[in-house]
Amino acid sequence: MTSTDTGTVTVTEVGASTPDPGTRLGRLFWVSVAWIVIVTVAAALAPWLPIDDPDAIGGDSGLDTALTAPSWNAWFGTDTLARDVFARTVHGARVSLVVGLVAIVLGLAVGGTLGILAGYVRGAFDRVVTFLFVVLLSFPSLVLAILITSLLDRGLVTIAVTLGVLGIAPVGRVARSATIQYAERDFVRAARMIGSSHRRIIVRELLPNVAAPMGSLALLGMALAIVAEGGLAFLGLSVSEGSTWGKLILDGSQTQTLTDAPWVAFAPIAMLFMTVLALNLAGDRLRRLGDVRTSAI
Amino acid sequence: MGRVVRRTGFAIILLLTVSALTFGAMNLLGDPLFNILGPAAADTTPAGVERIEAARAEYHLDDPLPVRYLRWLGDLVQGDLGVQFSSAGQPPVADLVVERLPRTAVLLVLAQLMATVIAIPWALLAAPRVDSWFDRLSTVSTFLVVALPNFALGVLLKYVFAIRLGWFPQTYTADAPLPDRFHQLLLPALTIALPAAAVYQRLLRDDLVSTLQEEFILMARSKGLSRARILFRHALRPSLFSFVTVFGLTTGALIGGSLVVENIFRIPGLGSAIVEAVVREDFPVVLAIVVVVASVFIVVNFVVDAVYAVIDPRIRR
Repeated sequence: MTSTDTGTVTVTEVGASTPDPGTRLGRLFWVSVAWIVIVTVAAALAPWLPIDDPDAIGGDSGLDTALTAPSWNAWFGTDTLARDVFARTVHGARVSLVVGLVAIVLGLAVGGTLGILAGYVRGAFDRVVTFLFVVLLSFPSLVLAILITSLLDRGLVTIAVTLGVLGIAPVGRVARSATIQYAERDFVRAARMIGSSHRRIIVRELLPNVAAPMGSLALLGMALAIVAEGGLAFLGLSVSEGSTWGKLILDGSQTQTLTDAPWVAFAPIAMLFMTVLALNLAGDRLRRLGDVRTSAI
Repeated sequence: MGRVVRRTGFAIILLLTVSALTFGAMNLLGDPLFNILGPAAADTTPAGVERIEAARAEYHLDDPLPVRYLRWLGDLVQGDLGVQFSSAGQPPVADLVVERLPRTAVLLVLAQLMATVIAIPWALLAAPRVDSWFDRLSTVSTFLVVALPNFALGVLLKYVFAIRLGWFPQTYTADAPLPDRFHQLLLPALTIALPAAAVYQRLLRDDLVSTLQEEFILMARSKGLSRARILFRHALRPSLFSFVTVFGLTTGALIGGSLVVENIFRIPGLGSAIVEAVVREDFPVVLAIVVVVASVFIVVNFVVDAVYAVIDPRIRR
């Protein structure tokens, strides 16, 4: 699934209009970050915000009717059970974001560690790890997710861990190739010559450098994990408890609901879209910042 | 020639590893006995125990895992994927896959075709005009499209083109005449194709932009060749390399996408088959579909690798 981030545009290489490419993150980056922060804070504080109970039929007043169009009272309208779609969307962010966050932390921890070790140690270990990555990448990622979730339960942790497993190979590959690049550089050789331990070289010399490309991968990966959860929801394999953006969109996409009350699906789609867009933009900006080719050497 | 042999060998090892892993995971993490018998697998009455023993013998569940894997693999090679555990075992899994696979395959091929047909002209239009309004607009729209997951895009397209405008049917009918079925597949295929087209456009545009700065392009231009001729005959082919690689890799994402999109447009392909199988915990069906899909993906990438050698003479040996 990393194929999506291979195609990002590097305008800076061709007659750049910005005076100093790579040093400024740009306004778009900060707008994206602001949106991510707003969504995260709203999700975290959802139970204490002055919004309706997401499961209350008829909203908090109990007077709302099913499938009413968006209005001042119910910003995003109500669904088939007269629940407030805005409240459901904000609450849905909780599970979606947690799943995305846990998944990418796991992917970074496992994939990053394996990749850096493989790139540093090389030899047989590198070959085994590389083969493991190839095997993991041989499963279309959603198929791997189907395989794991169909065998285990559909708890929050299982889904998050499953999506994390999907991130191991793509993250690991980037970490490995970045490590190989840096392991040949003079500062690493110098560290080796003055007798630094392997552990010290990896943690103090390699990790800070490899961390830069991984940071942007984390944002892109989180977007992919949130999207993958939605895909699983459409296959009936998302978390069994609580609502997520994927499950909300699935609810709203039933033909009858979609015909009569498109807002039930459109509201979570809009939130999902904006969040994924923000994560992609921020990740792309960071990637360009860390890109050795475009930053002035 | 050595390259072909090596790549083929690697693809076969990969196929074996992937199928062994899937088979192992299914058998170790799941409980095949429970899947066959349902709650009766916990029956401790003498009659129940007898049924359990019979099932163990019938499905060879007492053999060690590697032996069962080899038996399953042997059957698979002969086109026998076993019997379904649910629906009284009918139809056999192989028949189910043969019935469902073509729909998914047609959907995928159609989507990849659409994506390519959209992306190549789009990139050819944008690349010679770097930083023009058209190029900027293209880049912005690829970002927007990529940020819209396939299921969300599917719901939007279904709402606009099927429900509001009524240009396309909302669902798929398996026994409709061929042109109708093709018509029914267009919207789902577009759902899968648009994000792929955006990815391809970005990639191809970038590669075209750097190719257009090469000296042989300057040469062609100074010879007075037309703009179109330079683009198509000189610039396109050397710019296709990363596009071809990503085309193969993206197939994996598109397979996942088609499984999801099938469920939005009610296409009875592999995607809906796997969902039904997961709900019924029908282990041979899930196993068969996962292995088939992963194999297709491996084979596609193998073919892409071969195509790569054809368009790039430098790596031929």
